[in-house]
Order: sequence, then structure tokens, then C-alpha cells
Amino acid sequence: MFKILRDLLRYNVEFLIGFVLTAGIFLFALAHFFAPYPDTAIYLLPPDMPPSPEYWLGTTSRGQDVLWQMSSAIWNTMTFGLTVTVLSRLLAVTVGMVSGYLGGKWDEALMTVNDTLIALPNIPILLLVYFVMRDQMNWPVLALTAALLGWNHDARLIRSVVLSLRHREFTRHAVFAGMSVPQILIRQHLPYVMPVVFFTAMNNLIWAIGLEVTLSVLGFSDINRPTIGGMIYWANQHQAIIAGIWWWIAFPIIAIVILFLGLFLLAISVNEYIDPRSRLSRMGG
Amino acid sequence: MLAATIDAPTRTRPVLEVENLKAYYQMNYFGVSREVRAVDDVTLTINRNEIYGIAGESSSGKSTLIKTIAGAITPPLRVVSGSVKFDFGGSQLDVYARPKAMKAARWRHLSYIMQGSMNVLNPVRKVRHAFDDFAFRHMGLSPAQFRSRVEGHLKRLGLDPRVLESYPHQLSGGMRQRLTIALATVCEPEFIIADEPTTALDVLVQQDVLALIKDVQQRLGSSVVFVTHDMTVHAAIADRIGIVYAGRLVEEGPTDDAFARPQHPYTAHLISSLPRLGDVSRRKALPGKPPNLSDPPSGCRFHPRCPLAIDRCKVENPPLVSRATGRVACWRAGEVEVA
Repeated sequence: MFKILRDLLRYNVEFLIGFVLTAGIFLFALAHFFAPYPDTAIYLLPPDMPPSPEYWLGTTSRGQDVLWQMSSAIWNTMTFGLTVTVLSRLLAVTVGMVSGYLGGKWDEALMTVNDTLIALPNIPILLLVYFVMRDQMNWPVLALTAALLGWNHDARLIRSVVLSLRHREFTRHAVFAGMSVPQILIRQHLPYVMPVVFFTAMNNLIWAIGLEVTLSVLGFSDINRPTIGGMIYWANQHQAIIAGIWWWIAFPIIAIVILFLGLFLLAISVNEYIDPRSRLSRMGG
Repeated sequence: MLAATIDAPTRTRPVLEVENLKAYYQMNYFGVSREVRAVDDVTLTINRNEIYGIAGESSSGKSTLIKTIAGAITPPLRVVSGSVKFDFGGSQLDVYARPKAMKAARWRHLSYIMQGSMNVLNPVRKVRHAFDDFAFRHMGLSPAQFRSRVEGHLKRLGLDPRVLESYPHQLSGGMRQRLTIALATVCEPEFIIADEPTTALDVLVQQDVLALIKDVQQRLGSSVVFVTHDMTVHAAIADRIGIVYAGRLVEEGPTDDAFARPQHPYTAHLISSLPRLGDVSRRKALPGKPPNLSDPPSGCRFHPRCPLAIDRCKVENPPLVSRATGRVACWRAGEVEVA
């Protein structure tokens, strides 16, 4: 594992840049554990202070330090995004592979559910869930709902890959040698599907973070829990742009752009690692 | 080691007995049902320690026959009647009566070198994993023992054990083919099915691979069923040869006899189509093409293309009868001469 990381850092510029950006953002988010103020406290500091040596990124109109607010916000947003991604990848891989490999009735049943979910619009459903749940709405429930909405396109993609693998010689050989269906799927087909999983995971992470930001900006989430969208929501509520408190909006947006860029570069270079052909041509064997 | 566990009478028993095997592709698309009789009433036995060649042109049902023998069939292919019985070390195994036992015997006792076996190795995994996945479960060895067994086996087959750590795309076609043979023989099976293993290779590599198969076969004392349309390959490797035409076995016998004195006109034609040293005359092609197996001709299936056909051939199907050295299914057996 360590050797893989070292090789990627040495031979792959995209990975190096992506790694530095993502690690930087991650370390910054980790720093919120050492924050001098609790992240939900308001009116602790003088409001509307521009960036200065005392408050590096300024303070908000709610008397919070932008730096420490952002640190918590990125942590919470990343946690949400990763939870959605992991849950929806599990669903997509399971449904896609089972449906593609078994075919027949399994395929029909799973793909009917899949296509129904594709046809449903996401935002109205999430809003509906929010209005039904009201005060019980917290981020794990939102993550679960988003995961249930975010796996279907990728399940179809994975299904199509497995559908073609099913008729390859090595699959027939594996069946002949007595491997069971789960063994064939996990040992023979999963390595083939992994690049698809990684790349769709990237898209899904961006989609999930975007979804969280959208809902939070509109106020349809737990607004007291700092997130990137939540910060923008409060900035809008206090008319930060009109009042000239630009640092309240600019810094969260810069942070999220850096995070997206880092994750994207990581995803494309990890893809290259997983495909042995392109990896070996770059690293020279 | 194996010989000690086998008592005298079973050692002489044939390793495979196929009786009146019929396997049809039964399809029903949009209300139209079709039945393709790809294996029609085949009876054959294969002895221990021999290479049995199955010859025939494309779409004659060669591959279907051996798939059925190996029990590796999927719908729409179905076994309609007949039986396939293996005898591994004294234990009888009926492929279609007890499919579970068959599943456990595969790879351990019965292995398969598949058509297009260049693609048998998973392109995104190291070669080592193929051995782990296919063979490890059948050997009952510790991982270290298994590893050294595999490495020893590769060395004996003239392969560097370092190939285990490489990906299939890093190896040449010939090496991949050798690897698939190594993979199929690492468990030292009693019965090996080779389905066109040399078809995609050039003649030099082909020779190499044939020598390897023969070598492995002799060392293990296993039986090999070797399927190819290439008669020169059969001449080089097979002890006995069976000629398949339109899903039926039409002639069977020791390779030398079949080449020197073919009894069936189809066999004679296959042999006369081979180029011979010093002979510059043009080879005559057999007119017509193999029959459509969903609607085969009446009587002898070869009669529309047969130069010796008589009226009887059109109505009565000739049975496969024993002759001095083999069996042949023809009303005018032995009358043909090789051009």
C-alpha cells in the first residue's frame, strides 16, 4: 500500500497535485478538533471583522471566526459526501453485478426498480422527506435518502460491463473450474469493474456535496450544524454580499473548489493505477 | 501414487464411455421453435493414456460434443438422451445423473483447454491469481506447498516461474497458450479436453504447443481429447481419431489406419485435401456445405455431397459398425480411394 502510494507520487503528476490539494483541505478540516471556540456558538467575537492578523479570514455577522467555521463546515460536508458515496457505491456495485451476471428474472426485477428511481426527480423527493421528517431531520437521514437516490445510473453502467464479462473465456473457465457465483463476481469481475466504481464514486461525491450545498443554501437541512452550504445560507440571510462581507462567502467557495479539483485529479490518477496497462507503460514495468 | 490406489480391473477400463448421446439446441423465439441436432446419437469410448482426436469441419458439432461430454452445457443446449460416464481412479461418475459429484471432479480430474484459450487469463489480474482461483481448492495443499507445486510444474513445462507475477498482456501469445496448458494440467487430471488449442497460433508455436501437450500427457498418463479441424495436427498428435460430420460420428480408428486407408468417403476427402510433398496438383474442394442441423438431410447426412452416394443412402441412415481396426458408418465403406 505504501509502495503504491510512493510510486504514484513519484510517477504521476496529477496524483501528486490531487494528493497535495486534498490532503491540505483534509488537514484543514481536521484542525476543527482543536478549534478555540465551539462551532455552534454565535456572537462570541466582534462581528463583520475583515481578514486581519487576529482573525485570518475575518469574522461573520454572527460573531463567528470564518476560519474555524470553515474548518468544521468542510469536515461535515466531506463526511456527508463520503457517507453518501460509500452507501450508494455499495448499492450500485451489488445491484449492477448481480443483475448483469444472473440476468433473467433477477435482471428484470432489479432493473425495473432501477429505472423507476431514475425517473424520479431528486430535489422534490428530498424536500418531501425534509417536510415529513421536520425536526427529526439530521444529516445521517439525509445521507441515506441521497444514497438511495444516487446509485441507479451507475448500477446500469456496472451492469453493462458485467454483461460483457459474463461471456468472456475467463468467466467460462472459472465456472468450469467450480468457482461459485459470489467468487466469480468478487474475484474475477470486481477488479474489472473497479475503475468504473472509482470514477463514478468521484462523480457521486461531487453530486452528493453539491446536493448538500443546494439543500443547505435553501435552508432545508439542520441549519445549526456548520456546513459549506450552511455558511452560504447564513451569509445570504445576513445579506453579506450587499453589506460587503465578501470573506464570509468567498472563502467557503474557494475551499470547495479546491476540494473538487483535488478529488478529481485523484480519481483520474487512481484510475490509471487500476488499469495495469497504462500503469506499467508510465512506470516502465 | 495414483496407480497404487487403482485395482487391476479398473485400470484397464476406459476412462470415458459415451452412449447414444443426443444433445440438441432447443430454441423457442417468438413462437417459432427450432431444434438443432448438434450431437446426434454419438457412442464412443476413450481409453486411459491415449490422445483421441476429434476432426470435422466448422459447424459439424465438434465443440458441442465435447462441451456435452464435459458437462459444461447451458440452455438452449440440452441433453435429450444417452449417458456420459467417467471412470476416475475406480470411481464411476455419470455426468448427467449426478451433476454435483461432477462439479467436484472438474479441474481435479477433468480439465479443459478452451477454444480461444488465449483469453482465459483475466486481463486485469496477475497470472498467479488464475492458479489460486482455479486449482488451489482442488489440491488440498497449504499455500506454500501449492506455490512450490505450481512453480515446479511451470519449470517442467519450460516456463519461468516469474510469469506468475506478470499480467497477461505482458506475455506473448505462445507463452499465454503454454500457461493455459499449465493451468489445465497443474492438478494432474486424468482427462483433459483440448478444444482447438492451436488454432490461433502460427505453425512454429503450434508445433511447440503440440509437443508440450504430448509431453504432459505422457508424463501424467492422462487421456486427452483433442478437437481441431486441422488434419495435420491430428496426424501429428492423435493416437486414435474420430471424424464428426453433421453431429454424427462417421468414422473412428487408429490415426495411422485412418490416414492410410480411410473407409468413409468424407474421411478420404479430408485426407486428400492435405498438401503433400512434391505433389503440385490442385486440391479439389468438396462441393456443397455442411447441412443445416435444424433440418438435416434424410438417410446418411453426407449423401448430398458424397461422390459414392446410392439410392439407399438417401433413405437409410448407416449405423456405426465395427471393422477390423475401427468403426465406420457408411453403406459403401471401404470402396473409396484417396485421390
